[in-house]
Parts: sequence; structure tokens; C-alpha cells
Amino acid sequence: MKKGKISMTITIGIVCFLLVMIIFMQFKVVRQSEETNINTMQEAELRQELANWKIKYEEAKEKYDETSETLKTYKEESTSDNQTKETLEKELENLEMALGKTNVEGEGVIITLNEKTEKELADEEEITPINAQDLIYIVNYLKDAGAEAISINGERIVNNTYIVDIVGESIIKINSKYLRTNSYEIKAIGNSSYLESSIFGKGGYVEQLNTTGINAKIERSNRVRISKYEGDFETKYMQEKELETKK
Amino acid sequence: MLFIAILIGCILGAIVGINVPIISYSYSSYLAIAIIAALDSVFGGITGTLKGEFNFKVFISGFFCNSILSMLLTYLGNKLNVDIYLAAIVVFVGRMFINLTIIRKYYIDKWSEKYQEYKTRKANKIQEEQK
Repeated sequence: MKKGKISMTITIGIVCFLLVMIIFMQFKVVRQSEETNINTMQEAELRQELANWKIKYEEAKEKYDETSETLKTYKEESTSDNQTKETLEKELENLEMALGKTNVEGEGVIITLNEKTEKELADEEEITPINAQDLIYIVNYLKDAGAEAISINGERIVNNTYIVDIVGESIIKINSKYLRTNSYEIKAIGNSSYLESSIFGKGGYVEQLNTTGINAKIERSNRVRISKYEGDFETKYMQEKELETKK
Repeated sequence: MLFIAILIGCILGAIVGINVPIISYSYSSYLAIAIIAALDSVFGGITGTLKGEFNFKVFISGFFCNSILSMLLTYLGNKLNVDIYLAAIVVFVGRMFINLTIIRKYYIDKWSEKYQEYKTRKANKIQEEQK
């Protein structure tokens, strides 16, 4: 065989190779693009596709229903949460009222203490200024008579209230406020007759006050207003801890 | 020998073409026009062989140059937003039909000649037998 003929044969083989390769590549591309092209799809294929989409839709709908169901339950839970929240808020309100953090109003008495003028003074009577002890006694008697809320000159008596004399001056310190006055107004909410009798009753504290030159008046009212405690209930040293039971 | 080469080339081409990764759809138009150009060259080559004026160099250069040129024209058409590949397809497919016609006519002539020969031979035989 001639050399030229061999090279020609090889070249024609290569040409055939290239041509067929390109043709098959093109077939592949066209087939793939046809798969995604809706225009060239057959009716059966379209039907199949539609059925697939339907199934997908149903699945999605099922999922949606499920999710909305869970959402519903969550909502219900949240409403029940709201109820507990309301009860908690009510409880908190009650607690704050008991603590003295709220303005309150109710049946009670208003006691005013004044030093007697010189005309009112009986013979051999001397004025002893009202001191903290007097106020503490009165507060204690009122509490004993079931007072629910007490204030002295607008200062609410709460669980950490103290009433002390500032020595050397006629000053009484209540709730870290200095009262520099001779007249005191004590408001108390509770059963007014109990409250009155606890102090103004026979042998009550008022009798004793009278002997030291102090005038005491009482006024019953169905609408005694007592303002809230203005301070904070901050704690610094104590921490909540369960007590260990002794063995 | 030539047939073996063609057969091997075709089989290898089919295998490689099927296994080659898919090219993106945007390039497939170039491939298509290249195929049309190559097929045109092949038919031209067959026609040339039948006519007895086949030139191997012309065939090979036509095969590659036509393919590449048509691809370039398609690219240009894409850039110019003109469907130049339509013109290329018209030219190539038109030539293909012409070549096919030539091939068909050639074989029809050949076969009808042969048939004529067969007929005359048969007639001659009958005449001889009658004598």
C-alpha cells in the first residue's frame, strides 16, 4: 500500500471520528434541552408532569395543614399562658398592696395629735413634745386593732419602716424622712370602731398623751386615703436560701 | 482498508460523543452548524469521487474550514443579532441536496445501464437458443 493512501485512510478515519462525535454530542444536548422544554413535550409527558405536580401540591397542602394545626395549639397554649399571666399579675397586685406599694382607700380613721395651747393646759401640766415612742405605741395599737394600712404625715408604714428620735432636736425620722413638726396626722385603714377603741378607749394611750399636754382628735371616715410607700425594698446582704433541716 | 478506518472512526466517535460531558445549550447552535458544514463536505467528497475529480486536500480543507467558518459566522450573527447561521444552513443544505441528486442520478444511470445490458444479454441468449 502506498504511503499516501495510508495517511489518507487515517485522515478519513479521524474525520469520521470527529463528525460522529460532534453529532452525538449534539444529540445529547438536544435531548437534555427537550426534557426541560415544555413546548416539545408530548401530551403523555405533560400529563405525567401534571400528575407529579398534583402529588407535590397535595404533599405541600398536607404539610401546611399540619403546620397550621400546630400553630393553633401554640396559640391556645399562649392564651392559657395569658390566663396564668393574669392570675400572676393579680397576685402581684395583691402583694404590692399588702406591701404598701399602692395608693389605697377604705374605711378607717384619721387621728390628729397636737400640742395643747397654753390656755388649754390644766394646772401643773407641762408639754412633753411628741416623740417616736408615742408614735410607735399608736402604730402598734392600731396594728393590733387590725389596721391594714397606716401612714404618719403621709409616710406609709411598711414592713421596714422605722420611727426614731433624732436626739437633741425635736425631729422624728420615719422612712428616712425627717419630720420637724408638732402636729401629726395618723391615717389608718381598718374597722374604724376597733381602731378608735384601741386608742381612745378607756385606759387607752390617748389618756396618757393628754397628761403630757397633747391633744388627740379622731375622725372616722369611709374614705380614708393612704398614699403608697415611695422608697424601694432593696436588699443587699440577704439571699434566699432553703433552711437545712436538722438531723 | 478505507471502510475499516471509517467504521473504527464512527464507533470511536459515537463512544466518545456519548461519554463526553454535556456542553451548555447556548453553544449547541455552533455545534449544529459545524455538523451541517461537515456533512456538506462529506457529500461533496462523495460526489467528487463519483465524478472522478476527488481531491483529498480540497476535501479535508473544506471539511475543517467550512465547519470553523460557519461557527465563526454564527458567532458573528449572535453578536450582530442577525441569524447568519440560517444563510449558512440554506447554502449547505442546498448544496447537499444538489450533491445527493448527482449521486442519485449517477447510480440510476449505472443501474439502468446494467439492467439494459442484462436485458440485451438475455435476449441474445434466447435468440441463440432458438437458433
